Amino acid sequence: MSKKLPLHRIRNFSIIAHIDHGKSTLADRLMEHAGAVDKNRSRDQLLDSMDLERERGITIKAASVALEVDVRGEMHLLNLIDTPGHVDFSYEVEKSLQACEGALLLIDAAQGIQAQTVANATLAMDQDMEVIPVLNKIDLPHARPEEVLEQLEHVLLLESESCISCSAKTGKGVEELIEAVVDRVPAPTGDQDNPLRALIFDAKYDEYRGVIVNLRMVDGVIRKGDMVHMLGAKADYEVLELGKFTPDPKPCDSLEPGEVGYLISNIKKLGDVHIGDTLTVQKGERASRLPGYREPQPMVWCGLYPVRSGDFENLRSALNTLKLNDSSLVFEPESSDALGFGFRCGFLGLLHMEIVQERLERESGLDIVQTAPTVPYEILMQGGNLHTIHSPGELPESNLYEEIREPVVTTHLLIPVEAIGAIMHLCSERRGRFLRQEHLSPTRVMLTWDLPLSEIIFDFYDKLKSGTRGYGTMNMDEPRFEAADLVKLRILVGGNEADALSIICHKEVAERRGRSVLRKLQKEIPRHQFEVALQASIGGKIVARESIRALSKNVTAKCYGGDITRKRKLLEQQKKGKKRMKSIGNVEVPQKAFLAVLSTDE
Amino acid sequence: MELATPPGVLLESLPSLYVHLPFCKSRCRYCDFNAWVWKGQDLGRLVDALLQEAELRVPGLRPQTFFLGGGTPSLLPPEELLRLLQGLDAILDFRDSSLESSMEANPESFDEATAEAAVAGGLNRISIGAQSFRPPVLAAYDRPHGPEDIEKAVASARGAGFENLNLDLIFAFPGQDPLEWEADLNRALRLGPQHLSCYELTFEPGTPLTRKRDAGRMEEEDSDLCLHLFDRTLEICSEAGLDRYEISNFSLPGMACLHNLAGWRRLPLVGIGPGACGWGDGVHRKNISDPAAWQADLEGGGDGLEESSTPNSQTSAFEHLMMGLRLEKEGVRLSRVKESTGVNVEDLPGDPLALLVAEGLLEILSGPEGRVLRATPAGFPLLDHSLQRLLPEGRG
Repeated sequence: MSKKLPLHRIRNFSIIAHIDHGKSTLADRLMEHAGAVDKNRSRDQLLDSMDLERERGITIKAASVALEVDVRGEMHLLNLIDTPGHVDFSYEVEKSLQACEGALLLIDAAQGIQAQTVANATLAMDQDMEVIPVLNKIDLPHARPEEVLEQLEHVLLLESESCISCSAKTGKGVEELIEAVVDRVPAPTGDQDNPLRALIFDAKYDEYRGVIVNLRMVDGVIRKGDMVHMLGAKADYEVLELGKFTPDPKPCDSLEPGEVGYLISNIKKLGDVHIGDTLTVQKGERASRLPGYREPQPMVWCGLYPVRSGDFENLRSALNTLKLNDSSLVFEPESSDALGFGFRCGFLGLLHMEIVQERLERESGLDIVQTAPTVPYEILMQGGNLHTIHSPGELPESNLYEEIREPVVTTHLLIPVEAIGAIMHLCSERRGRFLRQEHLSPTRVMLTWDLPLSEIIFDFYDKLKSGTRGYGTMNMDEPRFEAADLVKLRILVGGNEADALSIICHKEVAERRGRSVLRKLQKEIPRHQFEVALQASIGGKIVARESIRALSKNVTAKCYGGDITRKRKLLEQQKKGKKRMKSIGNVEVPQKAFLAVLSTDE
Repeated sequence: MELATPPGVLLESLPSLYVHLPFCKSRCRYCDFNAWVWKGQDLGRLVDALLQEAELRVPGLRPQTFFLGGGTPSLLPPEELLRLLQGLDAILDFRDSSLESSMEANPESFDEATAEAAVAGGLNRISIGAQSFRPPVLAAYDRPHGPEDIEKAVASARGAGFENLNLDLIFAFPGQDPLEWEADLNRALRLGPQHLSCYELTFEPGTPLTRKRDAGRMEEEDSDLCLHLFDRTLEICSEAGLDRYEISNFSLPGMACLHNLAGWRRLPLVGIGPGACGWGDGVHRKNISDPAAWQADLEGGGDGLEESSTPNSQTSAFEHLMMGLRLEKEGVRLSRVKESTGVNVEDLPGDPLALLVAEGLLEILSGPEGRVLRATPAGFPLLDHSLQRLLPEGRG
């Protein structure tokens, strides 16, 4: 990659697909074709592999790969930009797409169009990108290309003649695909004489090198040793290293318009870099900010508390470590009467929350109590102020506010036709608003509903899967806030309000939710030596009550002079088990009871 | 205050003696004691080793109580039993010093000859492991006897002259009808015992029964039912004139087991035999559990000791409470805990005692003997809960 290629020989593109439709495999084939990797390197899915990302002691997950290919006798530079695979909301893919002029829309010829296919394609088309449909896995015996092509025309209004068939597994059709990228994806525009302007489309934290920033060059030239400025973060940095991923990181002296590469400076925290920010020069004429980027907002919040109160600082440092690599994770200290000191954490969505928790437990080894996830609410106060709360505990007294607004998402559900009845019922039960129904084919239908996000985080996805025998997929647009008739449901354990168990829910279902939460708690909280009263209240009025019967007998039957040490150790062990619980008043509550509010048991 | 036995009968300075005979005919499914299935090991050599340990460690002990337990002591042939008792008496002088000399026996191995040897050896109290009179329950426990063997064993004991007789029984067998337990209890009472030990079935760690429960093939009885059986036991025994003086122990007036009382009062104890534990002067002592290893150690010139440890004063004080609170009416004399361990349990960090008193689980009475701590009627069946809260924070 010694000689710079002119702009018209450069193409920047992504592959967008539903999960498991073959994105990583296709990326491997494209790299092999370009000679970016040795075919004999037998590891599959190179873009995802951590082993290959080690070079000079740094580990970087490639966010892009620069491919040099010869198309009809001319060398072209194709920058393949990676998009995140597992996302809660389709807009999380946006940051990667902004660095591209075109996208390969990869569809599994057997499975056909799925909810994320539609969402990602719509996202790309909304940005006026060139979308090239690609039918993958055409060699599978149960592939049904005709039906999928029909769906393509019908749902996405993409012409079936524009579609390319391939098998990412065998490499069949890959050459044709590369030609289509060169022919159909527009070359980037830009001017090296303009002031430096580059899009930060991704960033990763590396233990040894600090933050590695992924850039898409728009105007101007960036050189090693330059002083640069981030317009949004208002921060200055010196360029210590520039380079491209091939897919191994390969340093270079400069990056020019249209090129995609990485930058290393002395940036310590991922939080110092805003994805979507614009990079320009520190001195001299600065470029204006690139348009269109929105910071994703955390839409799911929960409390995370250490089981041992002495672990509070350890949990903080574990969260800080995770945040180095995940700038969308937010957290702030909070305290709960029941749980002591912990953190209120915000996640992009449920999937993000699960990933973070899994990493937290695995990497830190801490015992953590998680409270039930909640969505953020906007509270319109008397007097017109609007503020956002992230936990039910923050909800002011009802006489202090005018209305509560909750996040609502337009949700696309792609399901088999025979599941229409079940899914329509599920959505309406979850306070949904029906928008439309479109038949993709005689067997597949897409339902579009507006659903309160709070209803989706209560096992909606599981219900969708069971209602469609596993064939249903869903995708959510960006949430927006709408007023709703919501109330705070308080839970009292042994007469003490358990702040960590209270929830905000719709007035109409509050009583039913209250009852089901109490029934769940009744099962999860062990019997004590006294009766434990469980109550649910709304606005000071008790709407449901249950009790946990007292443990009537708990005494060692046989204990004589010779057994003392053994019996004492048994008591010590039993006491240790109780210590792993949290107490509300004098009631010991096990960790999983704090998720009881998630139960719907309809 | 009503004591199970007048305070003057057992002296705080005098030791009790426990001798352990580790072998059984078969292993009961609930048992977590140091018991080993007898596979023909030389019982004569075992008796030699027991006498050797007594001679080595405590010649001239003159214990105030003596208890030969197991295992199954009645497994010893009559002549070996007699040799053991006479040998011990020669070394320790227990016949003259002991207020009570007991032996445990199992129904299948307690015949007239064994009973007569026991009496000839100086024993005056017999404790028979009946457990149940219901064949299916006995079978489920893997007990090697039937109900009729219990009656025969009682007859042998009476015939040999035992006037102080105890029967061990177990209640709350999973799925058992409460009336079946009452029938068991009444049948035991008809045999006219001076003493009854009625244990709730306990799922001890590591036993076959516990493994069965943990595998989901057996369910423990609900605590409400256990309490009901516990209460019914008290009522039925009271009607028969037997008072409860400890969680699981009932006796005719003045017939409480002195040896076990000494244990609950934390009086000094000497343990002889494999796995036997002892206590005195602030030191716990435990012998090697494996009979063969214990015997080899003694025969090789050792003293059979596995470990001795000195618990800290907090732990010692807790052990006083753990044992003494089992005595329903007697409780624990707080001044004695203070004298023995230096710890004032009314002065523990966080004052758990005051909380438990306030919650009505424990009570403190003032009497001629000083302040006495005991469980309330409500707190008595929940004693483990109170004890967990009294446990010292650090490890002892």
